Formats: sequence, C-alpha cells, structure tokens
Amino acid sequence: MLTKRFLHSFRDVVVVGGGPAGLSILTALKNSPKTSHLECSLIEGSHITKIKEFDDPNYTNRVISLTTKSIKFMQKIGNWNYIDQERIKFYDNLFVVDSQDKDANISFTNDSIDYNPMGAMCEILNVQKSLLLRLDDINSTTENKAEIIENVKVEDIVNPPLNEELDWPIIKLSNGDTIQTRLLIGADGYNSPVRKYAGIESRGWQYDSFGIVSTLTLTTEDFNNVGYQRFLSTGPLGVLPLTDNNATLVWSTKAWLSKILKSVDDDMFKVLVNAALRLDEVDLNYVYKKLEVDPKDTSVIDDINWRLEEMENKKEPSSFWDDDNEIPEVETLLPGSRAMFPLKMSHADTYVAPRVALVGDAAHTIHPLAGQGLNMGQTDVSILIETIEKGIDRGLDIGSTLTLEPYVSNAWPMNHAILGVCDKLHKLFGNDFTPIVAIRGLGMKVFNNLTPIKDMLVKSLSV
Amino acid sequence: MFKGGVRNARVITRTSVRYHQTGTSESELSHFNALAKSWWDVNGPQRILHKMNLLRMDFIRDNIRTHLKLNPQDVKPEDEVYIPPYNVDLLPKPIKENIILDQELRRNEILGANKLKVLDVGCGGGILSESMARLSFVESVQGIDLSPEVIEAAKAHKLKDPMLKDKLTYNLQSLETLQETFDVITLFEILEHVDYPAQVLLEALNRVNVGGWLFLSTINRDFISWFTTIFMGEHVLNIVPVGTHTLDKYINHGEIESWLKENGDKFKLVDSKGCIYLPSYGWKFTSNEKVGNYFMAIQRIQ
Repeated sequence: MLTKRFLHSFRDVVVVGGGPAGLSILTALKNSPKTSHLECSLIEGSHITKIKEFDDPNYTNRVISLTTKSIKFMQKIGNWNYIDQERIKFYDNLFVVDSQDKDANISFTNDSIDYNPMGAMCEILNVQKSLLLRLDDINSTTENKAEIIENVKVEDIVNPPLNEELDWPIIKLSNGDTIQTRLLIGADGYNSPVRKYAGIESRGWQYDSFGIVSTLTLTTEDFNNVGYQRFLSTGPLGVLPLTDNNATLVWSTKAWLSKILKSVDDDMFKVLVNAALRLDEVDLNYVYKKLEVDPKDTSVIDDINWRLEEMENKKEPSSFWDDDNEIPEVETLLPGSRAMFPLKMSHADTYVAPRVALVGDAAHTIHPLAGQGLNMGQTDVSILIETIEKGIDRGLDIGSTLTLEPYVSNAWPMNHAILGVCDKLHKLFGNDFTPIVAIRGLGMKVFNNLTPIKDMLVKSLSV
Repeated sequence: MFKGGVRNARVITRTSVRYHQTGTSESELSHFNALAKSWWDVNGPQRILHKMNLLRMDFIRDNIRTHLKLNPQDVKPEDEVYIPPYNVDLLPKPIKENIILDQELRRNEILGANKLKVLDVGCGGGILSESMARLSFVESVQGIDLSPEVIEAAKAHKLKDPMLKDKLTYNLQSLETLQETFDVITLFEILEHVDYPAQVLLEALNRVNVGGWLFLSTINRDFISWFTTIFMGEHVLNIVPVGTHTLDKYINHGEIESWLKENGDKFKLVDSKGCIYLPSYGWKFTSNEKVGNYFMAIQRIQ
C-alpha cells in the first residue's frame, strides 16, 4: 500500500494543454495572491517553451482578434506586458457587407461609444509567448513554481481504486510518470481527453465548410484600421489588418469550394481572394466552375481582371464606397501560410464534474466568423479563476463541484448565446434564396441604423 | 455573572439532564445518526446544508477580516496602511484597488502571524470544520458532536483531503467537558436542536478568548420559519429530511440579543444577518434578521 502511494506525485491543479487557455489559467492561478500557493503543473505534448525564442519577422497564419475584455484580463494576470506590441494591430472599425445586396452593410465602429479601440489583431503565438514569459517572471520570484511538463502526452486518466481514501484522478503520462491531482483542468481542445474522462457530453455539428487562413500583404498600407468582412453564400470572407501592409485572411467556404481553393497555386489564390472580395456571386460561380475543371487554367486570371475592370467602370461615383471604406486589395500571399481546417460548432453540456473543469475549446468550439474563439476561452479562464478564488476564501475543496458550479452558471449561458448567434449568422448568410436575402438585407440596413443596439453588441463582444 | 437565560422558563424549570447537560435529546441524536451516510453527498439530502455552509464561511470570514485593527498602536507611521476616512468607491478605480489590495495584504499579514484556534460545536459530518481548517489563517480546528455515527462520517471524510490531516481533529464529546479556550467557536444550526440553548451558549461563550469570536446561526420562532423550514422544507419540497426541525425549539433573534445585553460588558453583538433559501439559487442574506433563519457574530471584548 505504502509503495503504491509513492508511485504518484501530487498536485493541487493539473492543466492539460498548453494553448492560450491552458497557459492563461496556469498564469492566473500563479498570479493571484489567493491561489499562488497551489501546486500547479501543465502538461503539453509539444515542445512549447521553444515559442519563447520565436522571432520570425513574418507573421504566422494563426491570428485572432483580441477583444478589449480579453486585453483587460491579460493586463490583470500580467502577460500583456510581454506581448510583442510591434506584432499587434489595433483596429477600430469592422465593415461587414452582404455579397448579394450591395447596400446591405453594417459598419461596426466605436465612435459613438467611448471604447477605443474595438480590438487587436494578434498572433496566437504572440499570446502564448507572452504567457510563457510571464510565467518565467513569476517563477523567478517564488519557490512554489508553476511547472510545465512538455513533450509529454497524457496516455490515460483514471480514477483511483474505490477503496483508496483519495478520490483524486490519476493522470498517466507517456514518460511513465503518474500524477494525482485535486483539480484537473481540461484545456485540451476539441477532442478533449479530460472531457471524455469526466463523461461530459459535447453536442454540436460539423458544418459542410472549411476555414482557410493565410497571411497577406495588401497593395495599400494600413487601411484605416478597418477590418473587412464580406458574407458570401459560400461563407464569410474576412480580411483583417496587421501592422504595415500585412493582413490576415479568414475565408470560410463550402467543402466543394475549399477543394478548389486548396488545389490552386498562390498566384491564383491571391486573384481569387481579390475577386471574392468584389465580384458578384454569379461571376464567382463561373470562375469556380472553370477552376473545378482545371485549377491551373491561367486564363481565369485574365477573365477575373476583365470582370473587375468592368465593375470598376460601372461603379457609381459614390454610393457607400468613399475613401474610408476602400475594399482591401491583396498584393502577395506569404508562401506556405495557407492552411485549411474544418469548421464545427460544439458546446459541452457542462464545464465541470467532480475534480474536473473545462476551458476553451475543450468546452466549446465556434465558427470563426466573429473571431470569438480565443476570447471565449479568456472569459472562461477569468470566471474560473474567480470561482477558485472564492472557493479558497470559503475553505472549500477546489476540486468539489460545490466550488466549481458557479463557473458553469456564470460562463455557460453567455457562451451558449455567442455560439448560437454565430451559428445562426452562418446559416442565414449561407443562403441565396431571394426572400431571405431581401429580409436579411433589410435587417442589416435597419440594424446598421440602430446605433444603441449595435453599440450593445460591440460592447458585449469587445468589452 | 450571567443572569437569566434564553427562554428562561423552559431552561430553569426543566432540570432533568437526560444526556449531557449541553447535549441533544436521544430522538435528535438518532435522527442525525441516520443521516451520517449521506452527509457528504453534495447532491444528496444535505445539499441545502452544503449550500448554507458557503454563506456561513462568507459571514465568518468577512467578520473576522473587517474587524481587524489594521494599524496597531505601536506601528510606525511609515508602516501604516492607509485607511481613507471616506468611501473608497469615490476614488478612481486603480487607486481604490491599490488601497484595498494594501489593506488585504495587511490583513493576511496580521492573520498569518496570529493563526486562529477554532472549535466547531455540533460539527456533524464536518462540513464547516473542514472549510474552517482549509483557511490559511486557521491554526487548528476541533470538531465535537454527540452522535457517534456523524463523528465517524466526519473522520472518514477527513482522510479524503491530505491538507486536513494535521489541522483538524474530531471528538465525540460534549461542550462542557472541554477545558481549553478558543479564538473562534461556532454554533451553527445547533441551538434549535438542543434542550437547553442558554446553557450551551453560556458554555460556549465562556470558552472564547478575549478578542475572539462566537458565530452562531439558528431560526426565529415564527410563522415564516415554520412555513419555510418545516412545511415547505421538510414536507412539500423535501429538501430537508422530515424530522430535522421542531418549531418550539426555535429561538428568536431578540431573545439572544436581549440576553446578551443583560450579560453585556464582556460580549458584543457585532453583526447579525437574516438568510433565506431560494430553490435553484441557494442561500441568500436578507436585511431582516428577525424573520426566519439568521446568523450572529459575537465578539468577546474583555
């Protein structure tokens, strides 16, 4: 019995997953005076600490939009100071248009409210790096250090035998070690092994869609800090500003189209992005058909350019398009930065079980159209840390559901609302049935003029 | 020293001691013995008690922390913590947060240097005892109860958390047999279950160190209490096991208050709060301690 016990090492908290959510909860736990005494470890399968040395001048393709609320939380736990400020881009305007109704558009700005800016475009790598540096900083001032166990995978999570006094879960690692922990935090992504161990059901669906990301340069430098998003019937296409004339692309498309977009070369892809930002859907569909037959058909490029010129000539002197709302034009594509991933929506039934809490993608995955994924994870972490602090104040066992329940009641409903809205937007705009186009166009026009409601939405998403 | 008693008539006229003087009757005991098994199931029959414990801990912690003297007489001026003579909410947020953080750190410092010795009277399965023992400013907790089964349940559950090992002890013992004194004594949901509440209160107060605290909770003897705790709680909603409460054992807030006043120079009623259980939410403090359940914080001033 005695020898068996010594096989495990013990922790108060084990976090599985070294993504932004996992590193954030570890940092938050070590940052708070109420929880810094806890012995915490994070387990990550990759060589995550090498991110600290990252300094490639080119932008990576995993870029997210940080809301003001997320930034405030990062300031609170102290990693904001370690963010490479030269690699983030604040923007204060998001311009959304409907491909099938030119006049239907929404301009999200924060002019009418005193929030400035709307958000910041930031590489996920930059966030992770800042968290790792902040953890080094914390560790340099304390004996009770945050431990990162890297290059190690979680092989299994099991319950101790029933006759054992300690009911803490046992984590078996690929390096042969086992850890028994009071609280196990799953920040281990969509296929979360922690969620599976806890027996928490996650519901959702795959969209018949893929997201394509890429790093771009634009012909014009810095388009007035405006993010641009066009809703096509194949899915939304967003071009969001980075520093100088860099930008990042998030293009959600139907499966058939993503196949085409994957098969074309960088030059063709660049032309296609410019076309999809501007041309009517009829023109686009014609182009897609030609490429479906032969993705290397360079005559398509001439065809697109001709159509774009035609469009330019027909453009009315000034409808909505004044100088402030220039449609971005892609100049180059960073080679090798094009990547594709399937889109899905899922939400766990709950985020807690005895001795288990889920954060980030382990709890929910979202359509990227509103850029809320990482921000939702940050909100999870901020609520979870408050919940744990409260549990410590009350002398509770932090692994008990009694401690963890408020985390679910405070985080779940808002996440569900955001997931629902993004799912409905995806379905609404993925439609080209005329009455629906008309109604949604009307809706967008009305919405664009309802400043208080718009502000409320901007506020709830960004602050 | 102490005049009269809570609900004088009953305490004084009934002199036969059936169990221990400060103990509970046998029917109460068998009731709680039967509950021992499910005591720690946070989703089981004692869930409402687990939820109430959250409020108890808030009440205890807030009272202990807010009544600390942050700047003792002998402190050097440069070491003094700034206490604004006005509402800190009037200050800009970062300044307010800094002042509050400063004060919190000082509180941690003071409490860290004088850790508290706690006695939990009628500890039951140890819900409050365990919570108290986990607090960083608590040195040790002793839980006592007269039901052998619940003490066994408490001892068994204690083993499930290694951090309780050296801080928490349980004894099958009555209050008057204890010789020690304590910094904090808790009497939660006890007075309405004993035959001689004044005696219990007196025995407990006599064991509080000067500057120390006695925290208690019980129930006002009124229609609302009968309706919520017995009619709704036990018989309609079944959130509390039937037979948990007996209405004529309830004690009004005013009775304890005036009893304390009569015996007033040593003890001060520092805080009292009413509380109410809202199904699907949990317990919530109310502004009226004279109706339904209530908490009291009594400090020994000399």
